[in-house]
Amino acid sequence: MVLMVIGGLLTTLAFFMAFYTARVQGFGTIVSEVPLDTSFALAPPNLQPTDGIAYERPWLSQKIFYFHVPVAEASFLVFSIAALFAVLFLLRKDKKYDTRSRIAMETAFVFVVATMITGVLWTRASWGVWWDWEPRLTTYFIMMVLMVAYFVVRNSVGDEERAATYAAVFCIIAWVDAPLSFIITRLIPSSHPVVFRSGMDTTNLIPFIIAQLGMLMIGYAIYVLRATEEDMRERLDILKEGLEDY
Amino acid sequence: MTPSQSTESIPTDVLALDVHDLSRTFGVRKALDKVSFELAQHQFLSIFGPNGAGKTTLLRVLATLTPPSAGSDVKVLGYDVVKDAFALREHIGLISHNPLLYPDLTADENLQFFAQLYGIPSSKERIDELLDAVELTHRKLDIVRTFSRGMTQRLSLARTLLSSPELIFLDEPYSGLDPHASDILDSLIEGIRDKHTFVMVSHDLEHGLEMCSHALILARGKVVLFEERASLDTEAFRSTYRDTVGLGVS
Amino acid sequence: MASAKRQISSFEQFKAILRKDIVMELRTKEMLTSMGLYAVLVLIIYYVALSQAGQGFDVSRIAGGLLLLAIVFTSMLGLNRSLVHEQDQGCLEALLLSPVDRPVIFFGKAVGNLIFLILVQIFVVPLFYFIFLSGSGAQSGPWWMLALALLVGSIGIAGIGTFLATMSVNTTGKDFILAIMFIPLIFPLLLVIVAALTAVITADPGYVQTYWTMLGIALGYDAIMIAVAFALYEFILGA
Repeated sequence: MVLMVIGGLLTTLAFFMAFYTARVQGFGTIVSEVPLDTSFALAPPNLQPTDGIAYERPWLSQKIFYFHVPVAEASFLVFSIAALFAVLFLLRKDKKYDTRSRIAMETAFVFVVATMITGVLWTRASWGVWWDWEPRLTTYFIMMVLMVAYFVVRNSVGDEERAATYAAVFCIIAWVDAPLSFIITRLIPSSHPVVFRSGMDTTNLIPFIIAQLGMLMIGYAIYVLRATEEDMRERLDILKEGLEDY
Repeated sequence: MTPSQSTESIPTDVLALDVHDLSRTFGVRKALDKVSFELAQHQFLSIFGPNGAGKTTLLRVLATLTPPSAGSDVKVLGYDVVKDAFALREHIGLISHNPLLYPDLTADENLQFFAQLYGIPSSKERIDELLDAVELTHRKLDIVRTFSRGMTQRLSLARTLLSSPELIFLDEPYSGLDPHASDILDSLIEGIRDKHTFVMVSHDLEHGLEMCSHALILARGKVVLFEERASLDTEAFRSTYRDTVGLGVS
Repeated sequence: MASAKRQISSFEQFKAILRKDIVMELRTKEMLTSMGLYAVLVLIIYYVALSQAGQGFDVSRIAGGLLLLAIVFTSMLGLNRSLVHEQDQGCLEALLLSPVDRPVIFFGKAVGNLIFLILVQIFVVPLFYFIFLSGSGAQSGPWWMLALALLVGSIGIAGIGTFLATMSVNTTGKDFILAIMFIPLIFPLLLVIVAALTAVITADPGYVQTYWTMLGIALGYDAIMIAVAFALYEFILGA
């Protein structure tokens, strides 16, 4: 609970820092020589589009960056944890690993959805379209579908243990698949510009790191909360089971 | 992948079933809870119990289809069901309420297929011999889909005997059989009963008691009763069974 | 009933599983007819979809994608069928009870599915070409390059599909569950195969280079995913 609050505070802090102290800098396809302060302002003329793509609100696309990237990174990290617990479950067949893997998947799913939302806003602001089959967005879209599939598979198997096993197996193969789909979407011939990154200023790096930390804490807090809940439910089940004997 | 190996017959003094603290749990659900018993070879064990007592799970663990939980020590014909599962599979067979046969293959093709899986030498002669024993020689080249339930079950027996298993599991073998067909199956099993060990799961109390040499009642994953048929008081057995069934219903 | 020496060989078992599937299919022709007809239906829908595209529309740009799409949808039909056969009468249990290594079952079923998929393609691909591409005047590359790309794609489809279908047959709503697992997982493979197919069909300058790169990636994907499926198959069967 405390972590949730701290995480929330940190991301909010990063949010304000992003608007007030960070400067627009060369991310994405925009490269600017002079750092500019653009907080709550329209894009300066020298950042206006020159190559036909509409950069209506470069500052917005810049600000979203501080949430989009941390949340995306956190989602993959949590997904990895889910896969790790899935492997443990298959090896030990202990229900507690399955529960953890499932909760981690839930958390990862929340993050992936957040990534999708911020990602869509970003493409709108930065490229002038709502959706673009850009490698990262595509990968996250696929990851989101894979996670939906994970829960669908789980709920479509009657036997509890079999459901857990199938879910674990699917979690692992999906985890292997996700980076492959990222690599491959970048490798196929396409007309999209490859998004590159330049270095970050300290002023920009600080809110970025703070946002990242905040996201991780929120993720961890969601995970812990759900784990406590599941733990309680399990204890209740034990009590119920005990009552049935008599 | 697999080293080619030949089947060695199992010494008669090895226990057919040597089960110690067999548990199978998932979370709070205990399908099997510290089940322990022993059974010598060439015996006939009947396992009784209400629905959800863990009978099928017990059978599946013994037949290497499901692994037991950690800490269980289960040996079948001297083989550990986890570590030696592969070797054990050559010595066991299963007759289930499901025919376990491909309906679109002929009787002969079905038996050929399983003979190949078990690497049985001179399989043609063996198949003819078995089809003769279950009185299906005249249907050898017919598709199994056209068989009656009783015929399918006889073919199922032939399929199981193909590999001459020392231990045969019977999972509700009578379900869906008419009295005549089930009599035939009985007499076929009776004819080979000295040469194999049988473990049967059944709802049919009368039938199961009649056939068995040992009886076991399972309730909520625990062994309630395990006794030799000879020393069993039928009335006491019935009342125990009624009690456990009542338990399962509540 | 003393048995003589038994020779258990994985390769013989693999052949037995494969032969059994082929004999069964040749007898019922269930999978091949349903897959073939389904593919024809998809082609009809393609015609409807493209009917208003107009004269200047260059079909060859999207032909690779359309072709692969037809194959993916058709394959799902067969994959489910092939595992339902095993599940129906409890035959899978009999297989698991016999001294067969689990990977042998996987490869036996997967190779069987691959063969059926190829047979369907032998019928569908020329038909597709005849209907959509013969009049377009596209100067496509050699046909064996198309065939090779389709083969590499089919290997991945059959391998991953067999793996997933083994799970989906035990779920409620088999077909849908297979689809929702299958499509996102093979998404990357579909992308590269479509890129390779399109490269050959359009035959733009330098297409050979693109083609081989894409094929290499597809092979890498097949290898990784089939290795993972192979490693996890035992867990599915044990559940």
